[in-house]
Amino acid sequence: MELAFTPEERAFRDEVRAWIDTHLDPALAAKVLGGLRLSKEDIQGWARTLGRQGWLAYRWPRTFGGPGWTVVQQHLFDEALAEAGAPPILPFGPVMVAPVIMAFGTPEQQQRFLPGIASGEVWWCQGYSEPGSGSDLASLRTRAERDGDHYVVNGQKTWTTLAQHADWIFCLVRTRTDGKPQAGISFLLIDMRSPGVTVRPIRLLDGEYEVNEVWFDNVRVPVSQRIGEENQGWTIAKYLLSHERANIADVNRSKRELKRLKRLAQAEGIWDDARVRDQIALLEVDIVALEMLVLRVLAAERSGKPALDIAALLKIRGSEVQQRLTELMLLVAGPMALPYLEPALTGQPVAAADAALAPLAPRYFNMRKTTIYGGSNEVQRNIVAQTLLG
Amino acid sequence: MDFDFSDEQRQLRDAVARWAERAYPFEQRRAIIAAGGFDARIWRDLTDLGLTGLTVAETHGGMGQGPVEALLVLETLGTALLLEPLAATWVAAALLQDCADGALPQAWLPRLAAGDLVVPALLERRSRHDLPQVACQANADGNAWRLSGRKHVVPAGDQAAAWLVSARAPDGVALFLVERSAAGIATTPYPLQDGSRAADLHLNATPAQRLPGDGATALAWAADVGAALACAQAVGVMERALALTVEYLNTRRQFGVPIGSFQVLRHRAADMKMALELARGMAYYALLKLDAPQAERRQAVARAKVQVGQSARFVGQQAVQLHGGIGVTDEYVVSHCFKTLTQLELSWGDTLHHLGTVAAVMGEDAAVGA
Repeated sequence: MELAFTPEERAFRDEVRAWIDTHLDPALAAKVLGGLRLSKEDIQGWARTLGRQGWLAYRWPRTFGGPGWTVVQQHLFDEALAEAGAPPILPFGPVMVAPVIMAFGTPEQQQRFLPGIASGEVWWCQGYSEPGSGSDLASLRTRAERDGDHYVVNGQKTWTTLAQHADWIFCLVRTRTDGKPQAGISFLLIDMRSPGVTVRPIRLLDGEYEVNEVWFDNVRVPVSQRIGEENQGWTIAKYLLSHERANIADVNRSKRELKRLKRLAQAEGIWDDARVRDQIALLEVDIVALEMLVLRVLAAERSGKPALDIAALLKIRGSEVQQRLTELMLLVAGPMALPYLEPALTGQPVAAADAALAPLAPRYFNMRKTTIYGGSNEVQRNIVAQTLLG
Repeated sequence: MDFDFSDEQRQLRDAVARWAERAYPFEQRRAIIAAGGFDARIWRDLTDLGLTGLTVAETHGGMGQGPVEALLVLETLGTALLLEPLAATWVAAALLQDCADGALPQAWLPRLAAGDLVVPALLERRSRHDLPQVACQANADGNAWRLSGRKHVVPAGDQAAAWLVSARAPDGVALFLVERSAAGIATTPYPLQDGSRAADLHLNATPAQRLPGDGATALAWAADVGAALACAQAVGVMERALALTVEYLNTRRQFGVPIGSFQVLRHRAADMKMALELARGMAYYALLKLDAPQAERRQAVARAKVQVGQSARFVGQQAVQLHGGIGVTDEYVVSHCFKTLTQLELSWGDTLHHLGTVAAVMGEDAAVGA
């Protein structure tokens, strides 16, 4: 048993920290650290910078052009990105669809799609949820009917994150209606510029435009854009889920946000208020305990053991901690967090109160999503209970 | 970074588990409680297994093992709801080994490893969790010392061959070894809530030997070792409580189905698993930080005890709740898990005490420093 990273791992961390330090625009980092809204250019510009270094695909094996890092190196890289205030790496391309293409795609599909994901040129989004299919994903109804070398897709996806910027969408679609619902699903890659694709924004409670409805009206999709066999989509979706591991807890960003919370409490003059201080201390304990959970999963993965039976716990605890951070920041800011200053959310000057506090309430509202998406925490508890009780 | 156990460590754990299964079933434990809460034959067994001297250096007749082995053994014996004060003995060993040199450790570490019970006697009526709050007086008597005062909740306090007693000397708080044969000693034994044995220790101008070294440093060390060991033991008890609960949910039938099919109960079990795993990681963290510099060690132990204390309370309460009526009986084992967990939360600094430490020392960073 050993808590410390190896000297090689620490040297690696120093190396990636130094690289980030020279390549990340301080103005962009300030936006991230201040909790401001990011533009498409903010996110994609940074993705391209990482892509040029070969690090956007930081979790890929060497055989597909990734750096071939261990899970611990991946964690340390993510930690370095988080603490520096780098824009998030959107998972849909490099973390979600890419491993599916590697595992189930043909060599032609791999050559066609992987380079654009690794470089950050092609923006992907995820077409899973539908209006009638949230937690019960297998009930999805978007149809794909075979017509020669094409599928004709009709239906509606929803909660599609940043689809307004996306070039491609990976979708679960129904290709068979008899038998078990899970057995009639296929995995399709669809060009967002295809005729018949319509994107409609959904405005969220914080005023942000982050998710969308995506409608398919007789959209023709070449069969060559199906990943895996027809009706194998559910297996692929489960593989994808099993691929989201330790970093679903996002503990590295929570460590950074805890620092922000502490600085905020100091700046607002309530750092020495015992009631506030105790709440921050409890959250600090929560975050350290979460990090120990993450490190245990990483250590098990690195030594090639089957991941501990605690991955679902990571999603639950990680999201609860994220929410609590925004909740406490809001309480620390108090009534000065109440003005809704839309321009301040993107960093534009406003002549009112303290613009730096303006993002706190929207962020708090926005983060309620974390216990709902990616399998709601109630669904995650079902998974934990299933492992425990059968 | 590695959280695996070595083959030797696994063998140790398995040997202890086999012993507990054979020698410490619940009925045996019940008999020990009825007989006063401390069994000399069990203590002999633990000595023969090498456990009393587990952390004592081999040069002093011990096994020379470290915090990870201590964690494994206590977790395993926690599962068995051990009553005997093994962890307290290891705190005494840590004090003798790390905070004293010369004749005292030479004389007493081999005896401790050989099964003579040596326990810390640090708590007073007004000390609560703050061990340096000491009223017991130490007065010089030539080259020797004489102690007067009263210590409370001393583990198996009337059975000990020697006590490590904190007392206020003219130059500050110090630790003293008091032998059972010394004059001016009286003990008042009583059971604790979990059925284990403890005692008040009354000292009246009792001859004592002073441990060299700084008393405040030694008390801080004792507090951290004691709290870290309590964390390890609590993880074992929580494992037992959760295992019992899972079994019960799958066995007990109401409304024609196993109650483990009801989602509200399934989610509660999932929350218990969460509490257990958060506590387990923090127990690792505390034990692995015991050899860190004092400030870092203290912060780690405090963080760990806050988590483990919260987890212990939740798991204990919910284990009882999910068992329904049988959960509040003395007859069934789960209530004993609950009482042991309650006791561990209140021992070596409770959750609020350690939260105070976390809040007082926290800086900008919150990393485990890996």
